[in-house]
Amino acid sequence: MNNDGIEILLVEDNPDDLDMALRALRKAHLANHIQVARDGAEALEFVFGTGAHLGRKVENGPRVILLDLKLPKLDGLEVLRRVKGDARTKMIPVVVLTSSKEQPDVVECYSLGVNSYIVKPVNFESFAGAVAELGMYWLLLNHPPN
Amino acid sequence: MKELRDFKAALDEHAIVAVTDPQGKITYVNDKFCAISQYSRAELLGQDHRIINSGYHPPEFMRELWSTIARGGVWRGEIRNRAKDGSIYWVDTTIVPFLAKGGKPRQYIAIRADITERKRAEEAQKRLAAIVTSSDAAIIGKTLAGIITDWNPGAEVLFGYTAAEAIGRPMTLTFPPERLKEEAEILARIGRGESVKQYETVRRRKDGTPVDVSVTISPILDRAGKVMGASTVARDITERKQAEAEVLRLNAELEARVVRRTAELEAANKELEAFSYSVSHDLRAPLRAVNGFAGIVLEDYGPQLPPEAKHYLERVRDGGKRMGQLIDDLLAFSRLGRQPLGMQGVDTKRLVQEVLLELNLPATGRAIETKVADLPACQGDPALLKQVWTNLLSNAVKYSRGRAPAVVEVGGERNDGECVFFVRDNGVGFDMQYAGKLFGVFQRLHRAEEFEGTGVGLAIVKRVVQRHGGRVWAQAEPGRGATFYFTLKEEAKG
Repeated sequence: MNNDGIEILLVEDNPDDLDMALRALRKAHLANHIQVARDGAEALEFVFGTGAHLGRKVENGPRVILLDLKLPKLDGLEVLRRVKGDARTKMIPVVVLTSSKEQPDVVECYSLGVNSYIVKPVNFESFAGAVAELGMYWLLLNHPPN
Repeated sequence: MKELRDFKAALDEHAIVAVTDPQGKITYVNDKFCAISQYSRAELLGQDHRIINSGYHPPEFMRELWSTIARGGVWRGEIRNRAKDGSIYWVDTTIVPFLAKGGKPRQYIAIRADITERKRAEEAQKRLAAIVTSSDAAIIGKTLAGIITDWNPGAEVLFGYTAAEAIGRPMTLTFPPERLKEEAEILARIGRGESVKQYETVRRRKDGTPVDVSVTISPILDRAGKVMGASTVARDITERKQAEAEVLRLNAELEARVVRRTAELEAANKELEAFSYSVSHDLRAPLRAVNGFAGIVLEDYGPQLPPEAKHYLERVRDGGKRMGQLIDDLLAFSRLGRQPLGMQGVDTKRLVQEVLLELNLPATGRAIETKVADLPACQGDPALLKQVWTNLLSNAVKYSRGRAPAVVEVGGERNDGECVFFVRDNGVGFDMQYAGKLFGVFQRLHRAEEFEGTGVGLAIVKRVVQRHGGRVWAQAEPGRGATFYFTLKEEAKG
């Protein structure tokens, strides 16, 4: 798989949530070039080109990270902290997927520099809204519907 | 003869004198006799001495007196007599018989001296001595050099030394070695005429064991007012000391228990938080799958499904949504018990108007009349109180559905340091026999088809009001509306 063209990194461990997110992305015609990571460690390996993704260039994206907070190994907050704490990756927009907007995590996410959040279940409208919020029209423009 | 008269005059001047015949009849009394006995001479002459008998002396005493003088002997002794007014006087008495030629007494001359004062002093001293003897407290006399001179039975009990063992020895006999220097200080103060009052210290018993005592030491003055020694009154305060130590121990234990309980509660709180977090995350995940995939089936295959299948799928989704709402409400409710109160003055009227605005009543399309009276300011956490008003007002709006117009009334007044508020509607009301269930979590008095809701709103109201130290209650009648009351503390002044 050619990782260099990856636009979206989806970090999600729950297979149900993962399927629904993928379907929503598909419906939003954003399904091309999605990389899925099933835990925090895997996500960081992909972003920083280590471990299973050794050799991948950090500069090559992803363009946006969709991040679940409760993850095995490293949790979402830790992934967020590492991404936003590194000069090479801190500009990557991060959208947090959360179970409830009332969680204390949300406040911490904002203090760590999260760009937006979507309350699950993930549906097409949520994605479109989040994408619009991030001002990522280029994503849609560069990848017209198949 | 003149010489004899002079003797008699001198005697009358000095003594109480009476003369009786051999039968005891009074034949002569002098002025002093009349004065002390308060009888006139006329009353006395011809009487015998029983007229002033106080009944104090036993018959043997009187018999011995009479047999002595009847034999011609001189009798001496102290007699207690009674005056005419009943008062008592003591006389030191000498009775001299004057003998006739045959050696028989011709008459008796009794010469008396008033010793009432001395006898009183003696009796007072005896009483004092009895008090000292019977006292529980150790009462000790000592010289200015600290040598023990008096040692009552109380002291024998307290210190274990008999009076014979203690008297003549230094007071430091009762001091534990580490407190010997106290005695120099005590004697110095006594020497200056000062007292040492209620001084708590430790003394040593004969068997060497220590004893907690409270001691008062006072100077003893001689007639000239010069300090001649000291009296020590010591009490055993072992029991009190033990009680004090017990109180201290219990206090420490109580404190330790509070600390332990607090730690337990904190741990329980942490656990509860973890549980809430887990509920919101883990319980929600399968619910999302139920909801999400039902939605996906509807979205992707809806056109191919028979209408009944579609209807049931909608029911699945509704159930899922409802459960999601229940979880949210439950979490909100559990958070209420834990988050700290941010107390401040709250402008109630403004808060109520803000809530009414947010409820966006015009959007319901219903005729709703709201009457908001002047409301007193109160003390509370504004965010939580807003939740209370929101829940009560939205309930009033909800349960008055079907009334045209629906009337929602808000009032409040100050009453004895607290504010009593109410929210009244003209809605469906409820039967008061179910009022007890009203404020329980997930308790509902109406079916879900009639009025939507999870049954947490009033439970939240109750918990918030209770955390503010207030009370909440309701009054209603089926079909005739309901009124909810609650109390809060008045806004703090200054």
